[in-house]
Amino acid sequence: MTTTIAASGRPARRSTRLGRFLGAYGQELVILGALIALFVVVGAVNPRFLSDTNLTSIFSSNAYIAVAALGMSLVIISGHIDVSIGSLIGVLATLSGTLAVGGYPVWVAWTAPVLIGMAVNAFVGGLVAYARIPSIVVTLGMLSILKGGLISVTDGAWITNLPAEYLIAQKRLLDVPLPVWFMVVLTLITAFWMRYSAFGRSIYAVGGNAEAARATGIRIEPTTVAVFAIHGVFAGITAVLFATQLQVIQSTVPPNLELTVITASVIGGVSILGGTGTVIGSTLAAILFATIGSALIFLNVSAYWLRAVLGLLILVTVLADMVRRRRVAV
Amino acid sequence: MSLRTLLRHETILGILVAVALALLATQSDRFFTTDNLLNQGRLMAEVGLVALAMTFVIVTGGIDLSVGSILGLCAILLGVFWKNLGLPLPAAMALALAVGAVAGLVNGLIITRFRVPPLIATLATLALYRGLAEGISQARSVRGYPDWFFGLGQGEALGVPSQLWILFGLTLAAAVILGLTTFGRSTYSIGANETAARFSGIGVDRTKLLIYTASGLMAGLAAVVFVSRVSTTRSDMGTGLELDVITAVVLGGTSIFGGRGTIIGTVLGLVLMQAIKNGLSLAGVKGDGTIVVIGVVLILAILIGNLFRRDGDG
Amino acid sequence: MAEAGTAPVVELAGISKSFTGLKVLKDISFDVRPGEVHALLGENGAGKSTLIKIIAGVHQPDGGELRVGGAPVRFSSPREAQRAGIATVYQELLLFPELTVAENIFLGHAPRRPWGGLDWEAMRVKARELLDSLDSHDLDVDAKVSGLSVANRQRVEIAKALSRNARLVIMDEPTAALAEADVQRLMEMVRWLRGRGVGIVYVSHRMAEIFALADRVTVLRDGALIGTRPIGEVDERRLVSMMVGRSIEQLFPKEEAKIGATVLELRGVSHQSTVKDISLSLRAGEILGIAGLVGSGRTELALTVFGITPATAGEILVDGKPVTIDSPGRARDLGIAYVPEDRGQQGLIRPQTVRENVSLAVLDRIARLFVIDHRREAALARDAIKRFGIRTRGPEQRVRQLSGGNQQKVVLAKWLATEPRILILDEPTRGIDVGAKAEVHALISRLAGQGLAILLISSELPEVLGMSDRVLVMSGGRIAAAFDRTEASPDAVGAAMTRSADAEAA
Repeated sequence: MTTTIAASGRPARRSTRLGRFLGAYGQELVILGALIALFVVVGAVNPRFLSDTNLTSIFSSNAYIAVAALGMSLVIISGHIDVSIGSLIGVLATLSGTLAVGGYPVWVAWTAPVLIGMAVNAFVGGLVAYARIPSIVVTLGMLSILKGGLISVTDGAWITNLPAEYLIAQKRLLDVPLPVWFMVVLTLITAFWMRYSAFGRSIYAVGGNAEAARATGIRIEPTTVAVFAIHGVFAGITAVLFATQLQVIQSTVPPNLELTVITASVIGGVSILGGTGTVIGSTLAAILFATIGSALIFLNVSAYWLRAVLGLLILVTVLADMVRRRRVAV
Repeated sequence: MSLRTLLRHETILGILVAVALALLATQSDRFFTTDNLLNQGRLMAEVGLVALAMTFVIVTGGIDLSVGSILGLCAILLGVFWKNLGLPLPAAMALALAVGAVAGLVNGLIITRFRVPPLIATLATLALYRGLAEGISQARSVRGYPDWFFGLGQGEALGVPSQLWILFGLTLAAAVILGLTTFGRSTYSIGANETAARFSGIGVDRTKLLIYTASGLMAGLAAVVFVSRVSTTRSDMGTGLELDVITAVVLGGTSIFGGRGTIIGTVLGLVLMQAIKNGLSLAGVKGDGTIVVIGVVLILAILIGNLFRRDGDG
Repeated sequence: MAEAGTAPVVELAGISKSFTGLKVLKDISFDVRPGEVHALLGENGAGKSTLIKIIAGVHQPDGGELRVGGAPVRFSSPREAQRAGIATVYQELLLFPELTVAENIFLGHAPRRPWGGLDWEAMRVKARELLDSLDSHDLDVDAKVSGLSVANRQRVEIAKALSRNARLVIMDEPTAALAEADVQRLMEMVRWLRGRGVGIVYVSHRMAEIFALADRVTVLRDGALIGTRPIGEVDERRLVSMMVGRSIEQLFPKEEAKIGATVLELRGVSHQSTVKDISLSLRAGEILGIAGLVGSGRTELALTVFGITPATAGEILVDGKPVTIDSPGRARDLGIAYVPEDRGQQGLIRPQTVRENVSLAVLDRIARLFVIDHRREAALARDAIKRFGIRTRGPEQRVRQLSGGNQQKVVLAKWLATEPRILILDEPTRGIDVGAKAEVHALISRLAGQGLAILLISSELPEVLGMSDRVLVMSGGRIAAAFDRTEASPDAVGAAMTRSADAEAA
């Protein structure tokens, strides 16, 4: 319906709006389909799966993953990767909580993580862009620095006695939990920005063909730093959502967080080779994982298999991507 | 000419190691005790075994992030083979090694047959293998191994810990292979210019498959040593191993971009890293603080390596 | 179309350029007028590529002046040249495979909505208009570039140039990889551009196109301008002789070699659609030249015989026995050696030493029980340096520091160390100065005399004609003509190269 390989003289089928929509958002629709199917199937097996509390739990408690995946998608589209996101979120969450119980105004506890997240990741972006250190290595190092630093400083202690007005993730607006609002609104804003702003498109260009991007006048290094900085902003927002979910802040982040976030982006259609993908897909994928995680519990499957499932999903998606690329004329 | 460049990095490293050791000796009187040195040797062995193979991997321009997960998987399976399946322990050990090799082979196949970049392939298998380990073990641990088993991880021969003998032997083998054999030369060539290597008749895919399989096998061996040393198996073993291993290799002068690196450099890097860790722990810094330092060391090592690269080569 | 009196779009006055001591362009002066198709002709290594890169802002000239619209300019980046209205369509297209055609055309200067966001609808509409004006109605603006054929990607590049209101469009071998029907459409596009007053620099080997399109033609040879003529004042013979010159006597005269038995035979060999049904035979001591235009399938044939892209049909026989060559290692073991076209990427490992490069293909043979015998390796390198006259400080020097000619000698040394019986040379003297060229030719002759069977792929007619016992002309993946040494003249072979391209209707 959409692409045609031109041959001289043969009239081509023009694409219709529907055809274009399907072509551009095919991956996203697949995820949506899988999500619906999962709800239907598991709901049939165990109706409590579809209960209000469970649905709230799935969407609200996991919304922060989707927010983190927004930033991660940008990084991967630009051709890089960040395995330190989990540790960064942990650090920022603890920072946020510490400020909250330390008597600072609530808005300080909410905005400081965002600013610091931006600064830290801008630094990482600088190392990648200007010092030409591969992003995997920088973020591998950062992962340890942040993780170790966090535990060293907190000594594993949890933060308790959080002021009620600080707990933003537990508030509601129009009876919808705030995290869900954050997830939806931020996804829409980011998707819009990635589609309609020149800078957003330049991220695709840099990830798709750096040489061609340079020839178009795009300055690769500042763009890379900016992408990482924006990723840091999302990390900060994620940290606040994560920190305020419960009455306490644990001293660690959930295991697999960076993997879940990366997988969400990749399954959501962001090719690991860069240059393509949308954030809508990554948000849907994040919800899908949360649903899978919950489904495993309701189906009485041990939750310990979750990481294996994620790993397998990433592998299958990447293999499919490779096969697709080789089949297509290069 | 190449001898001079070789000497330059390894010499600096050697001096650094000597300085570090001297510093440690003067700062803490607990450093140069037999107990401490032996213990450090033991701790170093697991990372060392994997680092030997990782040197080959990184020299070809690739990377293997899944080594920690393979270690965890092999550790769990060792317990499963022995306790749950009732196999005699030596057989279980051999099987665990085989599992490691297979895991590495799978990595290699994904990379060579499907042309998935090593970074992504091993990031995915990092999750998959760890997930398998977690799923299979269901967070239960296995204990109760026979006494002779601990001789591997906790025993010694001629006053030197057993695993160090193994490390020493394999180091020699690795050094000979990388530095003196046709396989080693192929490895360097693939990392320096894979296309030209292929065009010169080098079996690129076969070489890579062997290297990634070896990486998995070493992780399996490290698993057996580790289990023997701590007397138990748990599914989170080996978490973060890849950081230590990659840092040791890069510190040792192997370029992350491939084409350059030596085993002796890796060994020096390993010793230096262990010295840093030991120094920190003797100074009262806990394990978590240590990984902060290692992370910084990794980034600095590449940063400095890049600077040299741009001055000299490029 | 363009009167002689109008001010030129672009003018070069006395431009010269050197790279690492080698003078690539010497005092070039030429100009392009608005609405003119100005063909640039010359063999590989004549300097065309450097010249267009100077105009495009990629390189800066060492001497002379570049003027755009009469005013002197100095481009320090390709972007500045773009802003001055100069667009280049390179052979390696600079497109984004995962983005759509419309976006590729307008990336960096997309139409905007009033509130500042990108106007995708306008982008699609304008892209559609541009493509329609290029008569590419069947090219879907929403298609991802990765799924397009080469011809269509080229059209996207041209549309890109148009979208920036280029005053000058440089096309580098635009029809090299196109089928006949696509060539015709491209030529119409060029005519359309010309009609709009755009100046076009058309770099091509293909005489038929040049005579069909060009208003003037400039010939370069060895970095010097041989002449600029209105197309009506020249014919093919004149152009070929300007390109080739009377430099045949510079080549080392071919030694007479004893021709022996057939060592290599191809019967109906094909590889997918790039190599079609090739049958040939090669005997010991014989030099078989393979001529043809860029894209005619010569290198693809070599890669098939060498095992990089194994044959998908047909038979290959070595010494009369059928063999399957599925890897370069297998080819080497059968006694086949390939000196590649792309010396830097495929032939050498630039950061490694002379010694390491020379031994790369014979590692197994200089090793005992897998351990490399360093004395043998060093001796091999020293011997190679002496035998081939490689100018180097010693076996431990890194090859990237050597000149082009000496690098080529290293590649030759590497392959000759395998003691091959069949040697395939792909553009062996490209990018090499005259002195080294002569040395390489002498070497090739000597090797034939020693009984090697040689396949010589070259785009330089004097080289092919001067060295070969027989000449095959390839076109479109097939063998289009075969000549004996006595029959092969520059005109005959040159004509076969170009004539066959025209006759190759899809």
